Amino acid sequence: MNTTKSVSKRYVFLAAILIVLAGGLVLLPKYQKHEGIEPEELLSKAISPERYISTDILADKLVNQDPSFILIDVREESEYTKYSLPNAINIPLKKLLDEESIPYLNQAQYNVILFSNDNFYADQAWVLCNRLGYKNLKVLKGGINNWYKTIINPPVPTEDMTSLDYELYNTRKAASMFFGVAYPEQFKVDKPIEVKKVAPKKVITVQKKKKKPAEGGC
Amino acid sequence: MGPLIPNGVIPYEWDSVLAILIGIAFGFVLESSGFSSSRKLAGVFYGYDFAVLKVFFTAAVVASIGLYYMDYLGYIRVAELYVQPTYLWGGIVGGAIMGVGFVAAGFCPGTALTSVAIGKIDAMVYVVGIMIGVFIFAEFYTLFQPLYEGSFLGNITVVDSFGVNPYWFIFILTIAAILAFYLTDLLGKKIKKVFY
Repeated sequence: MNTTKSVSKRYVFLAAILIVLAGGLVLLPKYQKHEGIEPEELLSKAISPERYISTDILADKLVNQDPSFILIDVREESEYTKYSLPNAINIPLKKLLDEESIPYLNQAQYNVILFSNDNFYADQAWVLCNRLGYKNLKVLKGGINNWYKTIINPPVPTEDMTSLDYELYNTRKAASMFFGVAYPEQFKVDKPIEVKKVAPKKVITVQKKKKKPAEGGC
Repeated sequence: MGPLIPNGVIPYEWDSVLAILIGIAFGFVLESSGFSSSRKLAGVFYGYDFAVLKVFFTAAVVASIGLYYMDYLGYIRVAELYVQPTYLWGGIVGGAIMGVGFVAAGFCPGTALTSVAIGKIDAMVYVVGIMIGVFIFAEFYTLFQPLYEGSFLGNITVVDSFGVNPYWFIFILTIAAILAFYLTDLLGKKIKKVFY
């Protein structure tokens, strides 16, 4: 009798612990848990230089009609209508979290390249989207300003620069022509090189008498 | 931080090793708490021993309370835990078959293996039965496939599908568990003792 009583006391105690713990879960003050990825992961992604794409690589992709990415212009609509990169989609920073912009940003099919005038607004958009756990996001380094400086109006290399700089300049120049920039030298008509007229040698062909098969005879 | 393996705290390659270690510990606890006895296990159906009910109900309640405390403190994320997918009719039919097997043999598959480990002949027969069942299922898979893969509801939980507050759900479950323990104790006292 004595043992059963102590056992049941123990059970009552254990049951009370369970109820208190479960009740504690109900009564605990709730707090807003942050959604999306961990802060450490966001930080490591933010430090990584891989999140930037340079204007040269972007120009190369555009020229080669790489289908693997979409361009998103996070500037205001008025700026977007004035000038933007070819085939860019306009999602102003304010509308970034709207429902209609989610299908562009939250997908695993394309790389998303965000850009603005410099990379500051694009970086903000990048952080917001990354916090939500969206994937394959990149920022155009330097934004449209840098695009203009490097691709549309590339600096002419001076004579003391290496041949690599000249190569880069030529590529950029060719890319800028692709995007519709006209260079004066394109329209310069080359002077026809004067070539001394050499009187063609007269070739005197001696007509050989054709041997005629013997006619007649027997 | 957790779950540990998906978040890379423990390398992925360790999961089989950990599974073996956890399995050994689980088998040891099952055996040492008397769960290798088919009479004890079947007692829950005849009403003379409710150890099975108590153990599994306690396990569920303790695990859920612990998980949600760890979730609250940020050690684990409940949303990242693996949830078994639900195949509704497959689950119902399979549960019925499993129940019949449980009553008839006095084992569930896990406890049968612990019994085999301590050399019980009925458990060995039971395990051979499992093998035959597996063989039949595999041979007639095309026949069972619509049931097996049909009525798929996804990786759902009670909390998600009914929109219940998980904390209240756990609290009510705990109360229900303790009530069940109390009532089964009363019931056990009324039913004639079976010695085994």
